[in-house]
Amino acid sequence: MHDLGSFLMQTLQGLFYLLIFPGGLFALSLGLLFKGVDRKLEARFQRRVGPPILQPFIDCVKLAGKEEMVPRGAPRAYFVYAPLLGLVGMAVCAALLPIPGVTHGMTDMGDLLVYFYLMPVPAFALMMAGSSSGSPFGALGFSREMTIMLAYEIPLLLVILAVALLVGAPASAEFSLNEIVEFQLANGSFGLNPVMMPALLAYLMFLPGTMGVPPFDIPEAETEILEGPLLEYSGAGLAFFSLTSAIKSIVVLGLGVVLFFPGTLPGGILVNIPWFVLKCFMLMLVALTFVKVASARIRIDQAFRFYIKYPTPLAALSLILVWVSR
Amino acid sequence: MTNERQTLTLPVGPLHVALEEPVYYKARIEGERVRSLSLVMGYVHRGMEALAGKRNLFQNVVLTERVCSLCSNSHPLAYCTAVENLADIAVPPRAQYLRCLAEEVKRIASHLFNVGIMAHVIGYKSLFMHVMQVRETMQDIKETVYGNRMDVAANCIGGVKCDLDGELATFIRAGLDKLKKELDEIIRIYRHDKMIRGRTVGVGQISPLDVVRLGLVGPVARGSGLPVDVRRDSPYAAYPELDFPVITEDGCDVHARAMVRLREARESIAMVERILDKLPAGATTAPLPPIPAGEAVARIEAPRGELFYYLRTDESDKPLRLKWRVPSYMNWEALPVMMKDCAVADISLIVNSIDPCVSCTER
Repeated sequence: MHDLGSFLMQTLQGLFYLLIFPGGLFALSLGLLFKGVDRKLEARFQRRVGPPILQPFIDCVKLAGKEEMVPRGAPRAYFVYAPLLGLVGMAVCAALLPIPGVTHGMTDMGDLLVYFYLMPVPAFALMMAGSSSGSPFGALGFSREMTIMLAYEIPLLLVILAVALLVGAPASAEFSLNEIVEFQLANGSFGLNPVMMPALLAYLMFLPGTMGVPPFDIPEAETEILEGPLLEYSGAGLAFFSLTSAIKSIVVLGLGVVLFFPGTLPGGILVNIPWFVLKCFMLMLVALTFVKVASARIRIDQAFRFYIKYPTPLAALSLILVWVSR
Repeated sequence: MTNERQTLTLPVGPLHVALEEPVYYKARIEGERVRSLSLVMGYVHRGMEALAGKRNLFQNVVLTERVCSLCSNSHPLAYCTAVENLADIAVPPRAQYLRCLAEEVKRIASHLFNVGIMAHVIGYKSLFMHVMQVRETMQDIKETVYGNRMDVAANCIGGVKCDLDGELATFIRAGLDKLKKELDEIIRIYRHDKMIRGRTVGVGQISPLDVVRLGLVGPVARGSGLPVDVRRDSPYAAYPELDFPVITEDGCDVHARAMVRLREARESIAMVERILDKLPAGATTAPLPPIPAGEAVARIEAPRGELFYYLRTDESDKPLRLKWRVPSYMNWEALPVMMKDCAVADISLIVNSIDPCVSCTER
């Protein structure tokens, strides 16, 4: 009976992580809130009034009530489940996310390598959506999404390796997110470590690419290919994509905080949750909002060249420095 | 493997975010490259030339103003000039100057609109908003002087409808002083910004030879280094006295065409100031003689290039035939040349660079 009890306990705990905190509800609402603030800020930078901050919530509720159209000739199952795939992938990511000083996330799985495999899931979902919608715009979006993903995953991998090697020094590599947090709490944040600064810069450049905001909103370029893969989506399917992107923003920003600025404040959960949110917000401001309002969309070939030319060598530099110094 | 490459038809339009008006561009694409392009048009045909034959000569001033919104002053001006040529009406000098004023004010607004949309097409939303906001100065001037933000109704046969007093002139000058500084900054941004240059330099090339072969007009021709400008080549209204340079750029690409528009807008500000300085006193309309039977033409430099009107009348008060050829009609032909092997990402950018006016072309 004891085994059953602990099994139930663990399952409930897992579900809590997945559905309420730090994944699920928490990440979702925080992501949508960030999106609203981001839109408002962008509008104010452009001297517009902008939508209400809660607009992303309103949009999702509205979309949920709309009819979902499936284009004629599209493989129905693919088309309908593509958005769900992305959402589930991101929900798992969010559940694994440790919030320093608050929660360890799902510890037995919280691993950078799992992250590396799960983070491209929304991009895969977009590709599935693009290829199954049967529209030439979707096909173009598919190929663009694939190109840019290949470009930004390389620096991400190098950043992850640099962090893992630094934490695991001198003998091995450490991929556990909680160990990484502990290490930094003991030895100082990587964001302030000169050896890791290039990797931080590379991660900041990775963010707009993976979030698909200007100048890297190429797969969904509205004025070129009409939102590409999303063109044929409506109703709940479209809402799922928007929820996916909301959770994804928390996942990638939160991972940035975990990898580079996991410092905590004394005062327990009530202080550290807002502290984490604030750090995520600052990261969004620097890497997404400011970049977005100050840039034009570049072409896919230019984006690919950019990722090969700047973030990749930067992340590689950190990796080499870590390797040499261990 | 066969030699046949895999191509795909990309339906750009007739409804598309980057197009202000409906045209269906059928692009055959191969990966991210455009291999050929064909146009399907006719979505906003309103039969205006036939309508013109049903209205009398005065009503047609109102009708031509409604051909299109951005060149809404050039159409009635060309029409009125054609009628005046036919009936040998001498337009008073003050009216000539005021006609130029309305033309240049509309030209600034139109050019700024186009370069603003260019920023929108390349996803530079902040710049788009900024340019549109700067353009508001011109809208304010139009609204204050003419009482309307788009269709200014400045022209009538034999002169102009709106006179200018000292107070209005001061208002225009104040607006232009403000606009000048902002426009200089915008020109600097468009000329030097790396992202804009990265997207526009070398894109949508058309050689001067092709420009001549296809008979392209307006900023498209001037962007390829050809100094074609009706205001200088076949002067009308008060332009001979206004002393202005014909602005050209040698880039032959999207960037050069945008720069031509921006620099022309800057030059138009100087022209408006010159008009206000030199504005002669006197009447604003000429007495109207009966309009005889006959035919006449008029050429005007609209914001998009040469606008040509042909008018034929009999003894009645309705024109027998009123026919116009708009600048966009010539410039459409440039698109297949410009888009040869361009990237899909550049389709709407290149379309925007000829500043196409569908409602003009199809009327």
